[in-house]
Amino acid sequence: MAIDLPNIYNGNYRLLMAVPIALVLLSLIFIPGVELGVDFKGGTMVTMQANQSVDEGALRAALTDAGFEVSSVKSLANPAGYEIEVEIERDGNLTRAEQLKTDFFSKIDEVSRLESDVMATNSSPDAVSKYMEARKSVDGMADGLFEIAGMPGNASGYPGTNELKATAGVVYRKILDENSERLTQTLSRNVQYESASFNQVSASLSDKFVERVVAVVIYSIIIVSIAVFLIFRTLVPSLAVLIGAACDLVIALGAMGLLGIPLTLASFAALLMLVGFSLDTDVLLTMRLIKRKEGTARERAYEAMKTGTTMSMALLLSFSCLFILAMVTHINTYFEISAVALVGLVGDLIATWMLNAPIVLSYMEKKGDAGKEEKPFLSSIFSG
Amino acid sequence: MITKKEIVEGAKERDVLAMFAFMLLACLAIALDHRHGVPIFIASILIIAIAVSFLKRDRVRIAGLLAIVILSLFSIGFNGVKFGIDFSGGVRIPVLLETSVSADVMEDMVSTIKTRAAAFGLTEVKVRPIGDSEIYVELPQSSPQLVRDVETVLSQQGVYQGVVDGKVAIRGDDIYTGTIGRVPSQYLQGADWAVSFTVTQGGAKRFSQTVLGKADYPLYMFLDRPDNAIVVVSEKSLMNHSKSAGGQVSKSRALELAVNSLKLEGADIPVYIEEDIAGNFSIAPTNNRTKAIVSANSTLMPKLREAGFVVVEKSDEEMSLEYQVSQSSPASDAVSVWKAVGLLSSPRLAKSVTEGVPSFSYLINGAAQGDTAAARAADALKKERELESILKGGALPVHITLGSKTLVPAPLGAEFLRLSLIGIVFSLIAISLMVALRYMHPQIVLPMICISIAELIILVAILGSFTIDLSAMAGILAAIGVGIDAQIVVTDELLKKEEEPRKRMEKAFTIITTSVMVAVVAMLPLLLMSGLVEIIGFATSTILGSLLGLFISRPAYGAIVEHLFE
Repeated sequence: MAIDLPNIYNGNYRLLMAVPIALVLLSLIFIPGVELGVDFKGGTMVTMQANQSVDEGALRAALTDAGFEVSSVKSLANPAGYEIEVEIERDGNLTRAEQLKTDFFSKIDEVSRLESDVMATNSSPDAVSKYMEARKSVDGMADGLFEIAGMPGNASGYPGTNELKATAGVVYRKILDENSERLTQTLSRNVQYESASFNQVSASLSDKFVERVVAVVIYSIIIVSIAVFLIFRTLVPSLAVLIGAACDLVIALGAMGLLGIPLTLASFAALLMLVGFSLDTDVLLTMRLIKRKEGTARERAYEAMKTGTTMSMALLLSFSCLFILAMVTHINTYFEISAVALVGLVGDLIATWMLNAPIVLSYMEKKGDAGKEEKPFLSSIFSG
Repeated sequence: MITKKEIVEGAKERDVLAMFAFMLLACLAIALDHRHGVPIFIASILIIAIAVSFLKRDRVRIAGLLAIVILSLFSIGFNGVKFGIDFSGGVRIPVLLETSVSADVMEDMVSTIKTRAAAFGLTEVKVRPIGDSEIYVELPQSSPQLVRDVETVLSQQGVYQGVVDGKVAIRGDDIYTGTIGRVPSQYLQGADWAVSFTVTQGGAKRFSQTVLGKADYPLYMFLDRPDNAIVVVSEKSLMNHSKSAGGQVSKSRALELAVNSLKLEGADIPVYIEEDIAGNFSIAPTNNRTKAIVSANSTLMPKLREAGFVVVEKSDEEMSLEYQVSQSSPASDAVSVWKAVGLLSSPRLAKSVTEGVPSFSYLINGAAQGDTAAARAADALKKERELESILKGGALPVHITLGSKTLVPAPLGAEFLRLSLIGIVFSLIAISLMVALRYMHPQIVLPMICISIAELIILVAILGSFTIDLSAMAGILAAIGVGIDAQIVVTDELLKKEEEPRKRMEKAFTIITTSVMVAVVAMLPLLLMSGLVEIIGFATSTILGSLLGLFISRPAYGAIVEHLFE
């Protein structure tokens, strides 16, 4: 063996638990500081490629003057020159316009049907009043759009719903175009960029992302818990595995808050992957501890730790490569995934071997270290 | 130890021979049937993987891994590796559907977007469905103007025009979109399907005047009919579907019908036969914005460009004309579909609507085709949906939102790809060094590294058959680390001296199987339920990496290493 670690489980191993517990408590302080990325809070992220760096302060001032709420301006060197990254907060007017447009278009077909009823019934008072009432509400929405676009429009002046519908579509488009036009102009006046990429996340889109992510988290928790209980079929080890994974996530999130790694779709995926990694080492430890009988439990825990740390080292190495790649290219996806994976893997080392292992060890020793070897049902299907 | 003799003996074994024979067949199939290369490749891998997990013999396991690696290399060579716009450069606009839709509706939506984009002259647009609630629209170039055009196509509706005898009889603005709907089956009166709609007062008046006395005439229904254009059609496209239900159409009659269908006062679209003008090219554009609609395979394109036309390329399928003819009333003969010019349907006018009495409600009905009742019902539904969509100006059946668009300049994408590949190589080297330091024995370290490289090749071949984007690339890098992990578990277990190797292997696999299962389970909701396309590539590659390892490479690794310890 080239690498040999001392057996940390000789002596009072329960003391080890102080480290992960302290770390988790510390992490809880930093979690509220986790920044939400554009994906989840909405807004616009502009990434420009330029030959020269820019004055970040001047660009920020220019954008603020043009009416944008700037949340960050960064200028970074990358292989093709400089990458300038501007993040702009969700625009209140745009959010309102989107809402009005969605409401308008979901109602307009109904109104158009009522209008045709008026004709079909030869303007019966009943049909007319129904139409007028429905028309009034969509007129209100259309007027809201006209107002945001800064147009002197009066929706009730449009004779038919078809004309109103066509105009509302054009006006909404105009609002979006004017906003991006204003942004492009401000940027091109201040940055000599060669290309620019706009990542615009509207309010409804970011809401949708949040909603889906929450659903994924809930489903993952449920099925992972079921899977773990099915595999171990004993309460304490199953709970220990789940606690280990949960601690790892808390530590990773805390580190994200501390180091300023934003929570985006990419870092969210990395967090889910971490659950997998964390379970990987937890399963190794728990299987070796409770389903084997060679040596003492402490020796088995130590052997498991040797294997587990080698595994974590391999993962740390491959994510370090990704991290270096992210540093060179400034590709946000790479950065978010690798940074989260790195802090999470370190967290996993601590949570598994200093928290999970002592819990299972003390459970084993209390039980009298007489765990019978039983073969989980899954292995009979897949192994040779 | 593995000796040369053992390899020779192993190769002679029947199962092993069968496996390699199957692999060669699969390679041949990929080479011959290029269009189905990807499905053949994926199916072959699955078959080998299943065979390996059932036969459970060491030699078969190693042979299976070898077969899959060779197959993967072959697929990389023949099917190629597709990269997302992150690496190839271009623009991607995700279109999010408000609700998830069935496969049929999804297909309709994709083709509607394609048709409408093509009508805009955006022929290089790639539209592909992602899951059941998202569509990707991708452009190979990254000009802001093109992006705006695509956004316009997606966010605005098309222009519907109904043309009778060269006059606009009805426009999209005349129709109350809220009233367009399918007619319930009990009111069909003999037809298989029908769509009804109500028109405005002005629309009713114009329609009744325009169609006065034109019973049986076709109503040419256009969506985004091009103006200021000519169309150059090859004889093949013209005569492709000349045998219609009502009888054979001659070439001269076909041309006559084609010309008729594109008549519109002041905005005729002249029709030219490619073969006729190829020898004696003398057509000239009206102005510098005149479009020439032509097949993408046409040899006339350079000449048309030279003459000053704006060339709009269409696929051969879009250029093909479909006809409806009848012996009894030649006046109703018409081109029924000609997608290249936006002609999507041409129902005949019933006598009752051509008598000059304005009416507000109209109905378009027709017959469905199919051999069984179920097939006819499906066809009727399809036709109803098509017609509804045309009347609504190509509006999509569910409300859509445009997602966050990504724009990558091509040289930067190429640079990203180069650096990412270097990253993968470095990751492999770093991990190889680590296991070398940890285990010191070349007999352990070499197989470990070889298996990792094999896994990498298989992963790239499978993911590359679809699309490798940024998140999939990150997943590939992660998979290298994940792959080596399980081999570490196997090795550490085998290095223990307590029990016989077979028993130890079994234990190692119990651990690996369990941890792969939980890891996959943790990622599964992300893959299957989220529809978060931005990161699905990552989920796919991590899950695929884990499963590949579990079913193929780790059993093979175990088999190799076990021999070393015997």
